[in-house]
Amino acid sequence: MSAKLTKALEFANYRVTMNNQQAKLRAKTQGLLTYSINGGSFKIDRTLITFCKALLDDGTDVAVLLDVYDNPILVEIKDFYDEILSRYFEVTNDYYLEYEKIRKSRKTHKVLDLNSDGE
Amino acid sequence: MANKTPKRGILMFAHNNQEINYLQLAALNALLAQKNLGITADQVTIVTDRASYDYCETVMERELAAACTNYVFTDTDVAFKHQNTRLFKDTQHTPKVLPFYNINRCDAYDLSPYEETIMVDADYLILSDALNNCWGHNNELMMNWEYADVMHGRKFPELSRLNPLGITMYWATVVYFRKTPEVETFFNCVKHVKNNREYYSDLYKFNNSVYRNDYSFSIAAHTWGGHTDKAVPQLPVTLYKTFDNDDIYKMQDECLYLYLEKPRSPGDFMLTKWEGIDIHIMNKWALGRISGNILKFAEQKTVVKQTECVIKRKDEVVV
Repeated sequence: MSAKLTKALEFANYRVTMNNQQAKLRAKTQGLLTYSINGGSFKIDRTLITFCKALLDDGTDVAVLLDVYDNPILVEIKDFYDEILSRYFEVTNDYYLEYEKIRKSRKTHKVLDLNSDGE
Repeated sequence: MANKTPKRGILMFAHNNQEINYLQLAALNALLAQKNLGITADQVTIVTDRASYDYCETVMERELAAACTNYVFTDTDVAFKHQNTRLFKDTQHTPKVLPFYNINRCDAYDLSPYEETIMVDADYLILSDALNNCWGHNNELMMNWEYADVMHGRKFPELSRLNPLGITMYWATVVYFRKTPEVETFFNCVKHVKNNREYYSDLYKFNNSVYRNDYSFSIAAHTWGGHTDKAVPQLPVTLYKTFDNDDIYKMQDECLYLYLEKPRSPGDFMLTKWEGIDIHIMNKWALGRISGNILKFAEQKTVVKQTECVIKRKDEVVV
């Protein structure tokens, strides 16, 4: 096999590994962005944050929100908003740091945080 | 006298066969649960049999005591144990037919001492606090019908239905339930299906050569939900799986390095780093090989819990 082809196949292996690591990172982020309260579960996303902010700005203290199962859950908006906002930034900041680390790695073992001996 | 049984807890079933030490896996997982879910040993119940316990006690007495304070011993149905065998694999290079003793999972409702229970497989590693999202939930019974393969791109269509035209398959790997009369009827339904396997395998057209709890829980869920598809809600946690063709390279602190078999390239593996997400590991031998590292990690003191991290705002990112 020519050196060029070997290098191309090595790169293919690196790409597959990187894609899988990025998918895993997304999965971890999605899991951490799940927040359960008052018997309901919410997916913390920009829509939920914006909606809660709009309710707060409107002077709403308590409201019924639909959770991921579309069940109605009564929540105190101020506390809920503070919690989801802090979680959102905490999780996405970590996501950013880990994503950048993977993105900048140009070797398979570096994507996996290992040295060249696999240790 | 006041009842001191905790209200919430984890329930596992662990019956060893001649090769796989399920009780060891359950004990290690119990320690992981204590570390990551912030629960105590009295919030873990392990259902086992005397032979499995006696063997395990000789090799890991201290860990057994630390893992769980409530071991429930059941009698072994020897005929079932000999009859219900399945193919286990330590990657596809080492397939073995061994007993698959899973007869009493349907008794979970009766055996659990808790008002709220999360029943998990012994090989479902609790590596995060995600399952804490289940406690106090409005849904009295939750289990997943969706799963996600750790390896991007592999497809197993036979795992989504009992047969290609059949009902949706639920996974009994992780089940959350609250003790209510309605949930009791669900478990009665599971028992009924288990006791009438021949009939239900004809009716729902599934392979009856091995008894699987996934099947009986799926049929019970379908019946209990008013013969409606996907009537039982899913857990607020994605079920991640590896398969028995996969292997584990090593566990380093909280990082699990997995060898995942490539799709369309059997016997060829890709390395993946896995951390902070619960995962179902089907290759039991691989788990056994890293049991020392799991124990070491589980016994490390947690410095900062994920949910207790200091709030970081956008302007606080440090690259």
